[in-house]
Amino acid sequence: MTPHVLKHLPLWIEGDLAGTESAAVESHLAECPACLEAAEALRASQARLREAMASPFDASDAVRLRCSVMDQIRAEPAPRPILHLASRPALLTASAAALLLASLVWRFERGRSVHSAPPPAPPPTSAALSAEPDPKPAPTESRSALRYETQARIRPASRHGTESLPSGMPARIEFQTADPTIRIIWLAQATPPSEPSSTPEEKS
Amino acid sequence: MFPGSEAALMDEGIASLPEASAQDPLAQLVRRIRGGEAEAFEPLMARTEARILALAWRILGDRHLAEDAAQETFLRVFRSLHTYRLGEPFEAWMIRIAVNVCRDLARKRGPLPVPLDLLDVLEGDAASLGAEEAVLLQQRRALVRQALAGLPQAERTALVLRDLEGLSTEEVARILGVRPVTIRSQVASARTKLQAHCARLTTPPQGGRP
Ligand SMILES: [Zn+2]
Repeated sequence: MTPHVLKHLPLWIEGDLAGTESAAVESHLAECPACLEAAEALRASQARLREAMASPFDASDAVRLRCSVMDQIRAEPAPRPILHLASRPALLTASAAALLLASLVWRFERGRSVHSAPPPAPPPTSAALSAEPDPKPAPTESRSALRYETQARIRPASRHGTESLPSGMPARIEFQTADPTIRIIWLAQATPPSEPSSTPEEKS
Repeated sequence: MFPGSEAALMDEGIASLPEASAQDPLAQLVRRIRGGEAEAFEPLMARTEARILALAWRILGDRHLAEDAAQETFLRVFRSLHTYRLGEPFEAWMIRIAVNVCRDLARKRGPLPVPLDLLDVLEGDAASLGAEEAVLLQQRRALVRQALAGLPQAERTALVLRDLEGLSTEEVARILGVRPVTIRSQVASARTKLQAHCARLTTPPQGGRP
């Protein structure tokens, strides 16, 4: 008689043994009533497991759960969409405004010595920005989502453009840092100045 | 959720996402949600909630706790959807989150309440079955649940995923972050203990209960 297979039965019972091991167990079970009885007991116990652990939830439980989760999801701020920053005007405008303000302040602080003219009397705001159409063809964007009709470049404060961005048109803003190898490129939704008379462009 | 921009998001976003398995309807929903369409989470839930509810109940052994766990699981799934890699099996990713949620809740709650009293586990079946048959069924269920409640949490989770959720040993190992040989040993141990527990009381108890 082949060796008893009791210790293999818990894996054999659910098909967790490799083919040869499984065949060995089966040939032993054919000749050993004791192991066969143990195998039958395990089989019955596995069947009871599935019977006892059938889900107690019905469709109404599921619907209740779904409604509760969806209510919470709708109430919380949306997660950041992936790869879609450029298509969210509100976020974009806010971020661009923050960057522009920061870069202007930086220019204002760092660039006094290179200005040929004194800085504008009112502190610069995002409304004071001007941009001119890019003289060269817009660089081809690899992502089609970033194609815009207007490409604009924010110039250093010493050069004032004469054209404001068309309202509501997304723009590409390039900010050249002191390091020539680092250029910050930002996409912005330009907004018309709220008080045009106070901007330097209007004076010129 | 993004007024006025949903159509644009869908048009631009879906085309630029990496290839997902086209045959997986869940992957399509995931792409829409990641594109900003939070409402697409509702059909995604409709396809997966029954499984997550059952899974949580099987691991935790308590209905109300399981409902809490399922809710927390779906909220975590929604909030961490950006970390899911398209192409990997979505349900497995979700089950991993559910297992972690259950683990957290089980730790907070402490040891499983063992359903000792047969009368406590009597549910709605008694009316639809003959009285004696219903009692026997409830007895069998109580035995199994007692046995599961006595298992170490890791063995119980492995048994649930392998034998009740029908995942392969390799899938269970990936979900739990252990080697397949560990899962084999855990399910073998759990099956043996379960059978031994049920064998102790194969005949209905006669006379008084303690
Ligand atoms: Zn034998």
